[in-house]
Amino acid sequence: MNVLATPELPAIQSTQQNDHSIFALSVVDLWKKYGDHQALSGTSFDVKPGERLALLGPNGAGKTTLIRSMCGRVRPDRGEILLFGKSIREPNVLQSMGVIPQDLAIYADLTAQENLECFGQLHGLRSRKLRERVKWALRWIGLEDRARDLTKNFSGGMKRRVNIACGVLHRPQILLLDEPTVGVDPQSRQRIFEMLDELSQEGTSIVLTTHHLDEAETRCDRIVIVDHGKVVADGTIDQLIEQTIGVQREVAIEATGLMVAAPPGLRWDATRQRFLCYVENVADELPGILERVQSVGGVITDMEVHQPDLHHVFLYLTGRELRE
Amino acid sequence: MIWTVMQTSWRRLKNNRSELFLTFVVPVIFFSIFALIFGSRDSSSSTPKIKVAIANAHPSELSNKAVLLLGEQKSLRISEHANSTKAGDSKTTVATLDRATAEDLVRRGMVSAAIVFSKPTDQALPNNAPKIEILTDSFDQVASQVLAAIVQKAMLTATAEIAKSSNPINGSAMNGIPNAAMQPVDVQHALYTRANSSGSAITPSNPLIQSPDTMSMLPQVAVVDVIGGKKTNPVVAMYAAGIAVMFLLFSATTASGSLLEERENSTLDRLLCSRLTMDQLLLGKWAFLTAIGATQLTLMFVWGSLVFGIDLLHHLEGFAAMTLVTSGAASSFALMLAALCKTRMQLGWVSTIVILSMSALGGSMVPRYLMSETIQRAGLLTFNAWALEGFNKVFWREMPLTEIGTELAVLTVCGFGFIVAARVFAIRWERS
Ligand SMILES: Nc1ncnc2c1ncn2[C@@H]1O[C@H](COP(=O)(O)OP(=O)(O)OP(=O)(O)O)[C@@H](O)[C@H]1O
Ligand SMILES: [Mg+2]
Repeated sequence: MNVLATPELPAIQSTQQNDHSIFALSVVDLWKKYGDHQALSGTSFDVKPGERLALLGPNGAGKTTLIRSMCGRVRPDRGEILLFGKSIREPNVLQSMGVIPQDLAIYADLTAQENLECFGQLHGLRSRKLRERVKWALRWIGLEDRARDLTKNFSGGMKRRVNIACGVLHRPQILLLDEPTVGVDPQSRQRIFEMLDELSQEGTSIVLTTHHLDEAETRCDRIVIVDHGKVVADGTIDQLIEQTIGVQREVAIEATGLMVAAPPGLRWDATRQRFLCYVENVADELPGILERVQSVGGVITDMEVHQPDLHHVFLYLTGRELRE
Repeated sequence: MIWTVMQTSWRRLKNNRSELFLTFVVPVIFFSIFALIFGSRDSSSSTPKIKVAIANAHPSELSNKAVLLLGEQKSLRISEHANSTKAGDSKTTVATLDRATAEDLVRRGMVSAAIVFSKPTDQALPNNAPKIEILTDSFDQVASQVLAAIVQKAMLTATAEIAKSSNPINGSAMNGIPNAAMQPVDVQHALYTRANSSGSAITPSNPLIQSPDTMSMLPQVAVVDVIGGKKTNPVVAMYAAGIAVMFLLFSATTASGSLLEERENSTLDRLLCSRLTMDQLLLGKWAFLTAIGATQLTLMFVWGSLVFGIDLLHHLEGFAAMTLVTSGAASSFALMLAALCKTRMQLGWVSTIVILSMSALGGSMVPRYLMSETIQRAGLLTFNAWALEGFNKVFWREMPLTEIGTELAVLTVCGFGFIVAARVFAIRWERS
């Protein structure tokens, strides 16, 4: 047994290594505790090269903590972050990453161009290369004509675009964005996603957190839902629906009348003031459900049948609404 | 409406523990610090004394007696500085200190003044009547005036006592002073010289010693200004350094608040996600603050030389050295304070308290020699004191670069220590 087991060990390790090195980013079993609060408890997921990944989760789920661990600003208690199979703790590995914090992390008393030059230099760009990239970035965010204006005089959306541009000057292979579209009007949001699409077409992997489900659904290739510091779902929107609600339809029933108990098999959703359940075959199962409501004394006033979307998946998994 | 504004302001203050603390506890701390510095409490041990050196270069019975009497004076502290260089007990040291050494001590600021008893040059005076000089630093005007009066009093008392002991009627034979040594008439001549001989001679009219035949003869004490006399720099040079160092500290701490600003809006996250390390960030900020500080000091002294007559041109070397190390130390100190604080508001409070206290203690507001002994010693813990001493040595005492080595070394070590402390405090920002 021993003789057999020994040569196997390195083989297993090397396949694991290979597994991670095909991913642009791997988060492996990440744990982080703040005081008594367990912010991350065994989070794991991978990001493929060129993939756009949305991190979803209710407030306090640990998304920001996750992003900050990925860029080395939070030291996890346990676990590992790998970029193309290499730990971020190895020297120079982090240089292939770009980070855009949730706050506006730019100097308000510098012009757009000066901000870009500053962060470009800090990422190691010099002279001609720097000038080229700054010029490209200004064009990319559509602020060429405002390059020499102080950023404090910019609108919220313009500041956000400068904030994003400062993190991509050095052509990172992986870009992390923490709520890049918070507080931005729909047009600017559209503009920001067009910018990100441009990057992902060039092969940049993008990880972003958001509370806009529609953004995650339409603008990202894959969705990871985090709750209580754990990954509760991971996949494309179709996979998530199939994994959670499946081909089921949601039935929402509004009923009045004095009910002795909740109708069997139905769940009361307090925010929507409706009884909910999921059915696979509407025609076959619906009569039975209506009967059950009536049997406990309910008088049905309204009824809806929904095709499931990310909103339902999210509710199904976390039991909570997202903010906004 | 106004009420709502007041109420909201109060609620915000109430919810902010550290600010609440600072608002109401700091006044008490502040008051205590300044009361301690400027109003010495325990009068016996720590009242300000005039620090003097006595050079009894031409010992005579009269001068020995006067030296003893001066030694008993509560308001004087006789420097035993020469002890370290010259062996022997303090009495012989006092006797062996010569005029040049005493003058040197005053020049270096080791003592506020020196009392020199020397051989009279005036042939008209009797042989053993010492010529009395007070060597002072003209910056310390009060000390020299007080000292002159004290010396005169001591001389008169000594004369009177000697006269008493040499007079058999007064029973002087019993107190063991040999009569042969006494020459009462000569002593009288020695002490009472013509009052109008020098402008700087001080001749108090003490009714006790004014007998009809000595009416015009009073002990003459010549006050010699060994620093201000020859110098071109006005007193403003001394104040300039005090003001400049305090200003430098305020300016540097305000600027170092940028570190906290970057932390508050997570620019620090972004900076540290780039190739920049915390070491480089702190060093970059330090170099910038130092450059700005040096420029500010230069600006102040250039303006001082143009408008207030400070002789900058002849002290460029010392000025440059002091300016560099002082602004370097101030920048390190500012960064340390910033790294210690959580918010810019806190930094504002903390720096105000610390800088004002340090400036008061270190002599930026009131010269240190006016403070009590204990406080003067405590002042050496502030780097203001060392910076001011260095600048004073350069501009006031006109000492060469080699003489300010201690100050330069202390400030360099301080600067280094503070920046290392700042780096240690900043570890908590690097990774949470
Ligand atoms: N520096 C910190 N010290 C203490 N607790 C922290 C710290 N940072 C985060 N937490 C806690 O960790 C948990 C996760 O926070 P995190 O900011 O990661 O959530 P999030 O998913 O980004 O939330 P949101 O959607 O509101 O941005 C929260 O309960 C938060 O209070
Ligand atoms: Mg967050």
